[in-house]
Amino acid sequence: MKKISNSFRTPDGYFDSFTDKLTERLSKEETITVANDGFKVPDGYFDSLTSKIQEKLIAAEPVKVIGLHSYKKYYYAVAAMAAVVVLFFGLKITSSPVLSFDDIANADLESYFDNNELGLSSYEIAEVIPVDELEIKDIIENHLDNELIIEYLNNSIDNFEELNLDTNE
Amino acid sequence: MLTEELLVAQLKTEATQSRAFELLVNTYKEKLYWHIRRIVLDHDDADDVLQNTFIKVFRNISSFKGDSKLYSWMYRIATNEALTFIKDKTRKLGISDSELQDKMIRELQADVYFEGDHIQLALQKAILTLPEKQKLVFQMKYYQELKYEEISEILETSVGALKASYHLAAKKIEAFLKEN
Repeated sequence: MKKISNSFRTPDGYFDSFTDKLTERLSKEETITVANDGFKVPDGYFDSLTSKIQEKLIAAEPVKVIGLHSYKKYYYAVAAMAAVVVLFFGLKITSSPVLSFDDIANADLESYFDNNELGLSSYEIAEVIPVDELEIKDIIENHLDNELIIEYLNNSIDNFEELNLDTNE
Repeated sequence: MLTEELLVAQLKTEATQSRAFELLVNTYKEKLYWHIRRIVLDHDDADDVLQNTFIKVFRNISSFKGDSKLYSWMYRIATNEALTFIKDKTRKLGISDSELQDKMIRELQADVYFEGDHIQLALQKAILTLPEKQKLVFQMKYYQELKYEEISEILETSVGALKASYHLAAKKIEAFLKEN
């Protein structure tokens, strides 16, 4: 088959100088390389990194064996305190085995009466409680200020003489 | 060449742990370093974060289930450590994210371990302004040339979302460089 001649032409020496021209152009262009892109590391950094990390791991490991010598005196102190506590409670239990009514706290008694229905009539209660010795403050906690009492009386009482203030009724 | 399964088994066994860990560090230290460095920018900070990453890997190797590649798991730890480092810095300094970005660029410019020219500095500035995910995807794709499938395993994001993130990141960087 006859070769068809190329009708296109190029300048003289084009291909001879092409490589040099391309290299020159590439060096002039401000290209961003994908390599470290300006970032550097200190010399030998990576060489010593592994041993540095291993040392850090060893240093961070908890100490498995702890000498007891310095803790002996603390153990003796704790043991002595424990012995004292045991003896104290032991003696307490052995010396007071019998409980009496006086051992019951007032708060416990009040709680018992509040939470339990006694089933007693007023007559039965009056037989037990010495009414003559009772005062109002034994039954009701008095939160009333004297000022409040006077104010109440001012507003409620028209004739003060009716109060018979001279006598303690 | 030690297979990953064998390496993990040796890392979990007390008798072989030390040597296996040494091998692990030697194998992955540079890759993880550069990943961390591009997030925190400063060498000393990257060194701290890298060491913390490996220590975390060592302490938690028993919980590695093997449902992802070991490298992906380590890469994920490194990413979280670096991002947490940055957030802690913001909090400790009591400054906003943009103020920290400005500070980081100023420090990078004066950093003896940064020899980039003004275009490379501008590029780092542009990357800093990106949202977190876009920043990570761009750096992992552009600088570390990881495959989308690898990035997907590390960031636990779909390949499609990653491609979109990368495309957006590249557009934003281009716009930033043109304006600045």
